[in-house]
Amino acid sequence: MTSIDVRDLSKEYGGRRAVDQLTFSVRPGRVTGFLGPNGAGKSTTMRLVLGLDRPTSGTATIGGHPYAALREPLRRVGALLDARAAHGSRTARDHLRALAASNRIPDRRVDTVLEETGLAQVARRRVRTYSLGMRQRLGIAAALLGDPEVVLLDEPANGLDPEGIVWIRTLLRRLAREGRTVLVSSHLMGETAAFADHLVILGRGRLLADTPVQEFIHARVRPHVRIRTSEPSALDDLLARHGLDASPDPDGSRTVWHTRVDDIGRLMSGAGLPVLELTAREATLEEAYLDLTAAEAEFTAPPQEA
Amino acid sequence: MEFTPVLHAEWIKIRTLRSLLGSLAAVLLVTTAFSALAVADADGSDPLYSVFFGVSLGQIAAIAFGTTAVSAEFRGGALRLTLSAAPDRLRWFAAKAAAIALPVLAVGLLTGLATLLVGKSVLGASGPAWGEGLRGAVGCALQLTLMALFAAGLAAVLRSGVATLSVLIPFLLIVSFVIGDLSGGVADFLPDRAGQVALHSTWDGALGPWTGLAVTALWSVAALLAGAWSLRRRDA
Repeated sequence: MTSIDVRDLSKEYGGRRAVDQLTFSVRPGRVTGFLGPNGAGKSTTMRLVLGLDRPTSGTATIGGHPYAALREPLRRVGALLDARAAHGSRTARDHLRALAASNRIPDRRVDTVLEETGLAQVARRRVRTYSLGMRQRLGIAAALLGDPEVVLLDEPANGLDPEGIVWIRTLLRRLAREGRTVLVSSHLMGETAAFADHLVILGRGRLLADTPVQEFIHARVRPHVRIRTSEPSALDDLLARHGLDASPDPDGSRTVWHTRVDDIGRLMSGAGLPVLELTAREATLEEAYLDLTAAEAEFTAPPQEA
Repeated sequence: MEFTPVLHAEWIKIRTLRSLLGSLAAVLLVTTAFSALAVADADGSDPLYSVFFGVSLGQIAAIAFGTTAVSAEFRGGALRLTLSAAPDRLRWFAAKAAAIALPVLAVGLLTGLATLLVGKSVLGASGPAWGEGLRGAVGCALQLTLMALFAAGLAAVLRSGVATLSVLIPFLLIVSFVIGDLSGGVADFLPDRAGQVALHSTWDGALGPWTGLAVTALWSVAALLAGAWSLRRRDA
């Protein structure tokens, strides 16, 4: 199967390191979310993988080969880098037909991907008349054109409406299920949590994490339970007796760490305490991410530029 | 990567942009229209040049064509998409140049013949002979093609259509028309002047019709090489 392998990859622009000694692999059969704040080096890394920019040092390969060595690369790798890449005066269909011709991809694939991305009805309209969401879909259509094993999408959900976001989520899951290698960059946590199995997280060009999503969240964020009762002091006694770590919230409720609603529910029922609220707080990717970046900030120097 | 599919793709790109088809049509229309005007006003001193006078303006349309075909790649990350489909940059640029040269050459030949027929029918016996006229028609086609390629190479270096046209058009209009007419010598070796020797009945400079076209071809090759070098060296 085809993996993307990045080894000791660095890229400097005028002395600034956009990508710094990056090493990670993107494996087939799962969606890898590529996270990091704007300017963390995600897009640069993607351009380096596609051989568009020349690395300062290190390598990026696809299935063991540098991108430039691929014959008819669109049949192996599909990429969306910039939704503005299609010329405004061309129709979507002509845009894709030119791209297909360069890799000897038959024209029927053009119609298939237009259908697949929901653009079939507007395929003969000039791209200039498209909304950002439609251009984004056209960019994804271009990425899928050669039915590639490897798909790289840079911020594909940009400009998509809620329906489009659900669509891309389903599409990404399907591509992974079909055994393809899928790398999707984003700076939106909630969105990424909805489709990614695995995460590669960058900060200032460096690798911060390369881990499965669930593992990342559980390692970073403690599960907790929120309880509200009419007898808070009795609750505190109960929790203390069972050695549970609780902190009071301003509204009088309690947050209990390292426990589950099932246990607390039984405990309170046994003690005969009235329960007004009992909520399990699911840890989110966003919390885990913020925890990671906060930890990073402790031992990285503050950025020079404000 | 093979060359033919990339050339095919570049050809699709050219024929699906209205502005490019428009510049090709302008090559034909501007050249024949201004030639017709010049022929009507001819004094007989240089019958061939009065027939092909319009080339000096038609080549502006050819330059616009070559420039636009390349500069369209430098908008909104289009080049990145193009090069992700055709990672061999030199091969891609060669395909682009061929996709520019072939249509201009075809339209240029058509333009040359049309212009010649108009000129000969207006001038009659005082017009150029067939041999000389056909040399002019071929020269017209080659000159237009070479200027389109010159512009294409420059556009790849400058990475901008506006920048390319604002270098080339003032250069053609001012340097060529004003300075070029005054001074001989060095000005004769400028790309648009050198090739246009082929459009004159007589010439007295260092360059003849074919050597003149060869000098223009050198300019075009130099511009294309510079474009290829820049494309290869820089990040997309």
